[in-house]
Formats: sequence, structure tokens, C-alpha cells
Amino acid sequence: MVNNAIVFKIDGVEVRGKPGQTIMHAADEAGIYIPRLCDVEGLEPQGSCRVCTVKINGRTAAACTQPVAPGIEVENDTLEIRNCRRDIVRMLFHEGNHLCPCCEASGRCELQALGYRLGILQPDKYPYLQPVRPVDASHPDIMLDTNRCIRCGRCIRASRHMDHKNVFGYIGRGINKQVGVNGKNLAQTNVHIDDHAVAPGICPVGCIIQKRRGFYDPVGQRRFDLHPIGTEIEKTPKGIKK
Amino acid sequence: MKKKRISTISLAGCFGCHMSLLDIDERILELVKLVEFDRSPVNDLKRFKARCDIGFIEGGCCNEENVHTLRKFRRNCDVLVAVGQCAVMGGLPVMRNAIMHSKDPLRECLETAYLNSPYVYNPTNDIPNDPALPLILDKVYTCAEVVKMDYQIPGCPPSGDILWQAINALLNGKPSDLPSEVIKFD
Amino acid sequence: MTKTRVIEIEPITRVEGHGKVTIHLDDHNNVREARLHVVEFRGFERFICGRPYWEVPVIVQRLCGICPVSHHLTASKAMDMIVGAKKLTPTAEKIRRLMHYGQIMQSHVLHFFHLSSPDLLFGFDSDPESRNVFGVIEKMPELAVQGVMMRKFGQEIIKATAGKKIHGTGAVPGGVNKNLSIAERDVFLRDIGQMKTWALGALDIAKKYTFDNLAAVQAFAVFNSSHLSLVREDGALDLYHGNLRALDAGGNLIFDQVDYRRFNEYLMEEVKPWSYMKFPFIKSRGHIDGWYRVGPLARMNTCGFIDTPEAGKALVEFKNLTRGAPNHMSLAYHWARMIETLHCVENIETLLNDPDLQGTDLMVKGERAGEGIGVIEAPRGTLFHHYKVDANDQVTFCNLIVSTTNNNEAMNRAVKQVAQDHISGKPKITEGMLNHVEVAVRAYDPCLSCATHAIGKMPLAIEMYDADGNLVDRNSQYI
Repeated sequence: MVNNAIVFKIDGVEVRGKPGQTIMHAADEAGIYIPRLCDVEGLEPQGSCRVCTVKINGRTAAACTQPVAPGIEVENDTLEIRNCRRDIVRMLFHEGNHLCPCCEASGRCELQALGYRLGILQPDKYPYLQPVRPVDASHPDIMLDTNRCIRCGRCIRASRHMDHKNVFGYIGRGINKQVGVNGKNLAQTNVHIDDHAVAPGICPVGCIIQKRRGFYDPVGQRRFDLHPIGTEIEKTPKGIKK
Repeated sequence: MKKKRISTISLAGCFGCHMSLLDIDERILELVKLVEFDRSPVNDLKRFKARCDIGFIEGGCCNEENVHTLRKFRRNCDVLVAVGQCAVMGGLPVMRNAIMHSKDPLRECLETAYLNSPYVYNPTNDIPNDPALPLILDKVYTCAEVVKMDYQIPGCPPSGDILWQAINALLNGKPSDLPSEVIKFD
Repeated sequence: MTKTRVIEIEPITRVEGHGKVTIHLDDHNNVREARLHVVEFRGFERFICGRPYWEVPVIVQRLCGICPVSHHLTASKAMDMIVGAKKLTPTAEKIRRLMHYGQIMQSHVLHFFHLSSPDLLFGFDSDPESRNVFGVIEKMPELAVQGVMMRKFGQEIIKATAGKKIHGTGAVPGGVNKNLSIAERDVFLRDIGQMKTWALGALDIAKKYTFDNLAAVQAFAVFNSSHLSLVREDGALDLYHGNLRALDAGGNLIFDQVDYRRFNEYLMEEVKPWSYMKFPFIKSRGHIDGWYRVGPLARMNTCGFIDTPEAGKALVEFKNLTRGAPNHMSLAYHWARMIETLHCVENIETLLNDPDLQGTDLMVKGERAGEGIGVIEAPRGTLFHHYKVDANDQVTFCNLIVSTTNNNEAMNRAVKQVAQDHISGKPKITEGMLNHVEVAVRAYDPCLSCATHAIGKMPLAIEMYDADGNLVDRNSQYI
């Protein structure tokens, strides 16, 4: 079969994809950014955060798991989809304790960066839930502050598939679902500072942090201080539409 | 054009947002041509003189006085803007609400400050309780939990440049016209 | 039964933070009691417990948006002890000093030009409608612009070293996270000459005000007190680092060259039921007589000399006014503040010309400790931070004595004295009289945001109550 044989459209622009490729992947290669949180290069997509929601021939689907198909019309950067994503990101902010001002992930946090990109500027329509969630600082090198967890599962997948350790997993159900470890606390697991699961860039927020490195990056030189999230993918950065 | 009348207040905030407003620097000379200040901590008007077009609120609500003041602002301002993370989502004081992991956080905060410190001299073992002191609320509330807010400008604090853009947009009736490149939550 | 009335000044304006003044009057309108209340409470000392120590310098600066850098640096100094950084690299120490001088410069300028100058320029009894910074802009635009541009310069220094003008992140445990590039430096070097000229001019205004109104300055809220600050080992003024020195009202040493890490052996804080702001005192002198003053005035009294030339000369002149004895005049704070502003500008100039600022060796570490204490001379006075951190890197204890808290008793004395002098026995209480009380509070440049450790603030208010505690008058002007 010929590479890039599948032709479809994203927001009216013709895009080519390979068989079995996801819409997200094909869009990335075409230089079109589809916002995402639970998906990151190198890990199996799981389609759980729904930030990458797109409409395919009028029906919503997660772009990170939905394969390309010939002739489909994908809606990505439309008002309806942008509003949907904005609501999802807002809800993530509201159901945890996200104190950007004193969080060391500020400036490199993907949740925060999406907040910027999606232009979250209107007063809140959701209440802040302010859940009581544990901080696990027992490990000498790694800290888990679940106040900031958005349950993207990236650490879980990295630990399972890359480190083959299963250190992290979900505990609880529904609103109480959160990330936990396979021991009494982090110090009781076989997690190591060199594990993929705790490497910078796996946790999109400031939930898993490497100790004693906080605030080493000066404001103004942090990952998203210079370029909004998504511009590394976009061929022609568009900035943000309301 | 008639000058817009604006008013500002700091509730349970650190005053950083007011400082940031002064960070518009020399543009303050332009600002005074565009607006007239009613009640604000930077002048000596302690009560509203007239109805205001825009009220800027810094800080969330930690005590009853904050709530009364915020309600007064709602009654006296056509448009109410939450400025900064404290007004928007409670800011750092909300650490008291959940992150502190306490069933009775307020009591613990007070006891730590006034009773349990080894360096405190407190022969009567009382926590400050004078009638002149407003009652502290059980938890920290955001402005939007107390009154309807019309707009918000996030940031800790929003920079002088952001505030300048926002004020100009508001004066021109285009309130949400902040380019997302300038939005910051930290 | 004797009736008393209580006046409340609420909110206090043109100060940072929330507070109010209550003035208790008897039947003959004589002032029985006058108090400054700090009405906000936030609870920082408790709620930062459990957080990792490297977050602390970033969290605690949110105590105060006016001098966040002071808290940022003081907490960083405490955390230097935690990470065992006994001596910072030259670059780190100098970047921090630069940040600190920028901070003091902007804060002093803000206080003098934006908040207090309306009282000094227009008079304490002038029209409250225009007795504010906008009035200054209108009537003395040139002067107002100087204030604005000087504050901007200080704020830009902070931004260059901390990343943001307010609540940046420049200092980290054991050092700093960035140096100053040549390009950044050159922008400041271009303007530093102008800043020095303006700082000299501002000093002249403050000095001239003092001499033109000498009788008033020598009568307004003047009272004996001890004075406390950090000084360098040779007795020079040092705003970033040094040892503790305290003088009694006559200028005799109470203690000197005390390692600030032992401050708990010398100071305690008293709790009074009517204010969230505690009352610190020098232990050896007891809780009644042990109170003291801090801040620019105290520093001028405690230091032996200033090591920058222009500010050094200004200090000699300042000390000559009282023939070398401690100066106890509350209004002299303004003059002292402008001497320090000049000192900061001179220091900034020296630092900018120092190639160490472009160094790349930014952080050091050593043997981990469980307890950290940081002390600094913040714009409003000596600032104490004390932390304990457990083996998991989480904070377990925090005690803060912020600058304004140290001046609590002094501000209360000032309020009472001015109330007695200007309100007692007067048949009708005017806005101008009440503003005198606020002027006394403002001289101390109180930062009630900090003082409450609250995320809070303090406009000042005045209310009047009768003997039964009923509100009689709320200074009708303001209603």
C-alpha cells in the first residue's frame, strides 16, 4: 500500500494519512495542531481526557485514538469545538487544586498552556471543588502532589510500557479517581529517579516532580513562556481564536 | 467623551494587583485623562461618591467585611472585574480550604499564629477577638461565589501591560478582547 | 456613668493592606484610647506546613505585593541554610543584592511619591478629593513623573533579576536561577545617572520639608523608643545582610552584633486581643518596655555610617539634627527613606559595573540542615523568617515576624499621641483631624498585607462609639 494514501479533510484542508494512523498523528505531520493532554509522543494513546475531541462527519470522537479514513471531514478549530475544549480544560482546573502562582510546573505545564491557548477569560461557571488530596513526599528524589493530578494516565502508561514496573495506577472511581502507587507510599515502591515515568515531560502538570529542582528555570525562559503550546506542531502558527 | 468613573478595592489579596496597576508607569498620565477614580486605596475616598462604570476587585473573601465590601461594589458598579488569581479563584489563601489537610483549618491557622508558637507571649491564651475585628469566614471564597462578576483578568498579578490592555478594552466596550498571548495564571 | 465615644477611621487609605483606627473619647471629647487594628488574617504560618521547602520563597512572597522581593529573599536566605549553602557564589549574592536594592528603591519611591507626598505637598488638612497621587500628577506633573520613572527603574531591576516585576522566582535555595546579561545591564546603565539626580532631588524635598516644618516635625508623633536593625560588622548600614543591633532611647546599646540566627533568644511577640498583628518586644526588657522601632528611621539611628558617598553625607546631616542622639520623630521616616533610596541607587550603580553579575556559577549546596532562619532589612524594617523542614523536604514549622509587625507598638503610640494632640477636647471632629492620624500611620509606611500574614490588606477606618459600644458617628464625610 502506498504511503499517505488516505486523503481526508481537517477544517476543509486536505490532509493525507497512512492506514492505521490516528487523525491526531496525521494532523501533526500535516502541521495542524489538535490540542491534547492525555496523549504524548511515545505512549499508547488512550483517549481519556477528551481535549482532542473533534467532529468527524458530524460526530464527536477523540482524535488521538480515531484512525484516519478516506474522505472524512474533520472539524477541529471551530467555535463549537473550541468551546467544548475550553469547558473540559476549565473543569480540569476546577476539580483539582491548581495554584499556578506557586506551582513549580508553571510555565511548562500543559494544562496551564492550554488554558492560555484556549483563552480562558470569562468568570467561572463551575464551582471550585477544592478536593482534599494527599501529598506523598516520602521518596528521597521524587514527590507526588495529587492536588495537581488531572488523571491523564501518562505516568501509568510510561511506568507500565517503558519502565515495566507498574509503579503508578488509578485508585478510586468517578470523581474520587486519582493516581496512586503500588505500595504504601512512593518510598515503598521500586520507582527510581531515572525512570521514564517520572521524567520531565511525562507528567503534563506539576503532580510528579523531581525534588529540589523547582524554579530553576527563570521566568521568561520556560517552555511555554516563549511559544504557546502547539506552535511546535503548527506549520503556520495561528494564535488563538475566540 | 465623558470620563469613565472607576473604583478599585483590595479584599483578601496582597496588594500586588494594585501595585501592578501602577506598573503601567508613565501611562498613568494617560489613564487620568481617560478615567476618574472613585473610592480606591490610592486616594482618600473611603465611601462611594457616585455610581461607577467599572469596579476592579483584587483578592477573594476571607472575612465578613470582604463580603460586605464586595456587595457594596456590586451595587455601585455597572461592571465588576475580578483582577488576579485571588479574586478569580481564591489565590494562595485557598490553601487553607483543602491543601492544608485539616478538618478545622481556620482554628489551626489561628492557634499556630497566636497560641502554639514557642515565641509568642500570650498570658491570657486568647486568640484576637475584639469587636473591632471582622469575623473570619470558615473558608476562603472567590468573588464569583459571593456576587456575579462580569469579567476576570487572571495572573498573580496580571502585569501592568495586561491591565493596561484590559482597561482600554473595557473603556471601549470590548471587554474580553485580551489576546491570549498575554494571559498568565502565575 | 462616664460616656465614651469611639471614632473609627476605616478603611485607612494610602497604606498597603487593611486596617482601621478606633479612637475612644469621653464626654469632653478627650481621647482615652486610640488603637490601630489589623483586621485581616490569612494564616500563612500554618498553611505552608506540608509544602516542599523550595516552594516557600515563591509562596511567602504572596504575603505582600508591595515588597514581595523582601519575603522572597528572606525565605531564600533561610532555605540557603536548609540546603547547607554557607556562602553563595559572588554572582548569586550580587544578583540578590541587586534585586533587593531595586525592591527598596521602588518601594520607598512608591511610598514617598504615590502615597505620602500628597500630605506633605498639599497639607494634612487639604481637600481629600485631590489629596492623592492623581492630584500630584495634576498639580506637579514633573515631580509625579519622576516618582513614576524611579519606581519603574526599580521594578525593571526586579524584572531583570526575578523574571517578573511582582512575584518573580529569581532566588532559589542556594543561589539564583539567572544572571544579568550585558544587554540587560546596558539598559540600566543608560538611566542610572538620571536616577541618581532624581534621588538627590527627592532627598532634598524630604530634607527641605523637615527644616521648613521643623517645629511640626519635632512635635508630631515624637516619642522615645528603642531602635533595632541589622548592621554590618563594621557598623555600616547593610540592607541585605548583617548582625542585629538594638539601641535604647538614649542611644545606648541593648545588644550588638548578634548573629541573626539567634534572634529567638532576644525577641518575643505578644498577642493582644484587639489586633491580628502581634506586638514583638526585646525579651531582656520585658513585654511592657521592650518594644522598639524598625525601618528607615531606626536604621539611620542604629548604623554608624553609610558606605556610599552621597548617602553617607546625607546620613551625617541627618544625625546632626539630633546631635548624634537617636532621632525619635515619626515624620523623619520620610527623610530617612530618601537617604536609603539614594543609597540603593548608588549601590545599584556599583553593582551594574561589576562583571560578577554576568557570572555563570549560580548555585551552591552543602550539608542538609533541618532548620533555616533568614533575616533581611526590608523597606519597612527588619524581616524575620524561621522554618523547620523534615527529612522528606516538607516544611513542619514556620514563624514570621514581618517588618510592619515590629512597628506595631510604635504605630499605636503615634496614633494615640496624634489623636490626643489633634482631637482631644475639640468640639467637632473634622476630616482633616482624622487625616492627621492617618498621616502618623503612613509615616511608618505600614504594610498590613504582610503584617497579617494574611492575604489581606488594610484600608484604615475611623468609627465613633458611645460608652455602651454603640456606633455614634462613622466620620460622616465618608459615608
